[in-house]
Amino acid sequence: MGKVSKGSRKGKKAWRANISTEDIHDFFEKSTKDALSGGSLAAVPSESLFFVDKARDLSVKRKIEKQREKVLRTDSVLQKNPFVQAVPSTVSKKSRKKRKEVVNNGGQGDNEDASVSVSGMVDLWADKFDGKLKKKPKHSIIPAVEVEPPGCSFNPSFESHQDSLACAVADEMQKVYKHELGPEPVPLTVQGEVIDEEDMYFLEADNGGDDDSSLENLDGDENKATENRSSKSKPVTRVELNRRARRKDLLKKEAETKKIDQLSKEIDSLPDIIQEIAKEDEEKQRRHLRRVVAQQEREKLRPPRLGKHKFEPAPMQVLLSEEITGSLRQLKGCSTLAKDRFKSLEKRGLVVPTARNRRSRR
Amino acid sequence: MPKHYRPPGKKKEGNVAKYVTRSQAVKLLQVNLSTFRRLCILKGVFPREPKKKVKGNHHTYYHLKDIMFVKHDPLLEKFREMRTYDKKLKKAVAKKNKDLYERLRTRKPTYTLDRLILERYPKFADALRDLDDCLSMVHLFAALPALERENIEVKRIHNCRKLSHEWQAYIARTHKLRKVFISVKGIYYQAEVEGQKITWLTPHALQQVLPDDVDYNVMLTFLEFYETLVAFVNFKLYHSISVKYPPILDPQLEALAEELYALSRYLDANTRSSRPSGSNQVESQENEKQHDESDLRLAQLQHQLPHNEPGALMHLVEDAAGEDEEDEDTKECENLFKDMKFFLGREVPRESLLFVIPAFGGIVSWERDGAPFREADQSITHQIVDRPTQGHIFLSREYVQPQWIYDCVNARIILPTEGYLVGRVPPPHLSPFVDNEAEGYVPDYAETIKHLQAAASNEVLPMPGTVKEDLEDPQRLLVEGIIDRAEANEAAEKKRKMATLEKQYHDELKLELEGAQYSSSMINQNMESNAASGEAREKPVPDLQQIADDSANMSKIVMSRKKRRLLEAMEIGKKRKQANVDLLKERKKKSEAGQSSKEK
Repeated sequence: MGKVSKGSRKGKKAWRANISTEDIHDFFEKSTKDALSGGSLAAVPSESLFFVDKARDLSVKRKIEKQREKVLRTDSVLQKNPFVQAVPSTVSKKSRKKRKEVVNNGGQGDNEDASVSVSGMVDLWADKFDGKLKKKPKHSIIPAVEVEPPGCSFNPSFESHQDSLACAVADEMQKVYKHELGPEPVPLTVQGEVIDEEDMYFLEADNGGDDDSSLENLDGDENKATENRSSKSKPVTRVELNRRARRKDLLKKEAETKKIDQLSKEIDSLPDIIQEIAKEDEEKQRRHLRRVVAQQEREKLRPPRLGKHKFEPAPMQVLLSEEITGSLRQLKGCSTLAKDRFKSLEKRGLVVPTARNRRSRR
Repeated sequence: MPKHYRPPGKKKEGNVAKYVTRSQAVKLLQVNLSTFRRLCILKGVFPREPKKKVKGNHHTYYHLKDIMFVKHDPLLEKFREMRTYDKKLKKAVAKKNKDLYERLRTRKPTYTLDRLILERYPKFADALRDLDDCLSMVHLFAALPALERENIEVKRIHNCRKLSHEWQAYIARTHKLRKVFISVKGIYYQAEVEGQKITWLTPHALQQVLPDDVDYNVMLTFLEFYETLVAFVNFKLYHSISVKYPPILDPQLEALAEELYALSRYLDANTRSSRPSGSNQVESQENEKQHDESDLRLAQLQHQLPHNEPGALMHLVEDAAGEDEEDEDTKECENLFKDMKFFLGREVPRESLLFVIPAFGGIVSWERDGAPFREADQSITHQIVDRPTQGHIFLSREYVQPQWIYDCVNARIILPTEGYLVGRVPPPHLSPFVDNEAEGYVPDYAETIKHLQAAASNEVLPMPGTVKEDLEDPQRLLVEGIIDRAEANEAAEKKRKMATLEKQYHDELKLELEGAQYSSSMINQNMESNAASGEAREKPVPDLQQIADDSANMSKIVMSRKKRRLLEAMEIGKKRKQANVDLLKERKKKSEAGQSSKEK
């Protein structure tokens, strides 16, 4: 018995069966509805649908106004009360007056500017200054122009020249010694072979010193264990407790007697103690004095540390013994005065010392 | 929790609140770093060192109040405006809009620093006090070469030169210069203006080099402020001697680079014309206002004036002597080189000597066009030369080395010229800035100069007891007085002792003569009374010391602890100085011994 094949479901018939016609149906429904209700709304112009309401709704407005007129209690409290005195303003009259003066002065200044002479210069300090001076913090105690010691003269006397030379030499030698005695710099390259990771493992294993520590730990554990055992094995008896209490009392008493003894001893040696205290005070004072002196000298010598880099003083300008000719014509004068002035600015703390000058020196 | 935990909402306090780092400050002011630097320099705001450096040691800290001070300056806004203007210019260039560029370039916004100067120096004395650095910088830049690379313009160098000459001319004209010291670094001058001592350093007349390790932007910003300040100070000073500022100079002399001489002549002419009557001066000023062109003519007339009478500067000196406000010191200074005529050789530092010699009342000329008189002038008393030998010699004048001038100026007397003659090694040039008494060490030459000074002052003032030197330091006078009195007391005591001895002797003689016992008690009485009186008289000698000690102690007791400690610190410093002096002396002794042994 052979079955009759149904045929392919992918055929045209199947397609037709699957097409939906809902939208068409919808449209028909809608159009019939519209036709029944008297035409679609989309087609109608908006004027016919809407209108501007120009009539006033007085009642609503009145309502709002009424609400507004009403003053809240909080506001009424804040309103001015004739019986209550006003709190004075924090800005005092003095300062207000001052401000006015300043404004006036400003006006005068403008007038003065108008009467400036042809060259554009005016006498700045013409009118006497009578305002209070604001004390400015003095920036440094180092003078702007430091006069060189007499040994730096172009034709110095022998002793002062020797003195200045000694200073210059000392500075140089200090540099040399610092270089010699200072720690050696870390070398950039180290001789030897490169170690790969596997070798590194072994190195670490060799270095490991955990053997000893483990032994110690073991010992410690044993001790602990014995203690625990003993405490567990021997419960504290009343006798033991009493003994402990007695012992505690005894110790306390001993400490007290010791303290009293000590005190009496100290009372006996009171003059010594007073002397000691005096000595200590003196020592403290001396230390303070030393510190003050050191601080002052430091301030005189070098400026405060203002940035990353330290201030380095310029070397002293002094002639060598052979260079002294006594003639102004043959003098080898310093030709880098700009640097000197710049150093002076740095020394007074007006300019922050930078690394640039250091690099160029090397 | 971190160590310095601050709950949110709690205000910062202490150093965190007071100080900000530089980058924070830059952010706060909303400017770039270079503008910030400029602003700080112009405004006088400099970094500080807080006690606790909150951000670390490698930062620069500013006080927050300082930064706020800068923030409220109108200059900040001005700088911003200039920056935007520069952008416009750049844009015009990029768009190749030449017209716009030209228009914009000619109308660049500028700023003035007058207000800042007044703000930083409310009084004239303040400005004078801070003038040291300004003058040094201006004098330095007057000698520097203009460099395109470092942004050093020719215009500014010329301005510096002008300002420095104006300052020197004023100092020379009013004879305010006090000390000069030539060191290897440069020449130090010290002047005293309105009671303020102003020290400045000028470079030697050498080619100055510009070292690499100097930040010229910073220097130029400082210079900008200083130029303005010096200009205003000069203005004020010139007006104080009733001379118009800025001065109008003879173009011919300016062309010869003799601005200083031209200025001195200008000052001379103007002060003389203005002095006779105030109304005349006002008139002349009005006239000058009316005809600006006549100024130039006037300047040229000045040029003619001194040719007719070579002693033009002499008049200047005479005029100045008429001023009654001047103090003793100034008079001494202006009469030092009076009636002396100097001629400078080619090889001496002309700029410096042209400043120094007129400042002490001398007349000076040099070897070039435009100089007031020639070398052949018979009235020249001194010729300044600095060469091994002098070929042609006028017998009427002395040939000395330039150091003589400076040493005379520092010693305030005309030193003998023997040591300074041509070809000799002159005596050492000592620093006038060293207080020998305080230092405790006096070089040999200083002592000879002192003797000469004493001799000179005695010649001038033969009256006893008014030796100039002693008047100069009352402290020494006091010490001497004390010593004198002590000596006198000692002598008196000796006399008294002698007298008592004599008396005793006489009494004993009497006793022997009378042979009476009853008077022994009287003698005793006598002796006692004598002894008592002796004691009473003896007292004053230790008393002096005692009083001095007591007064010192009293002041020490009265002082606060802080001050007392400071005093003690000072004493330690003194001791150290003394030790240094001793060392020097020893060294000298050794060196002398060594020399003498060598000679042997």
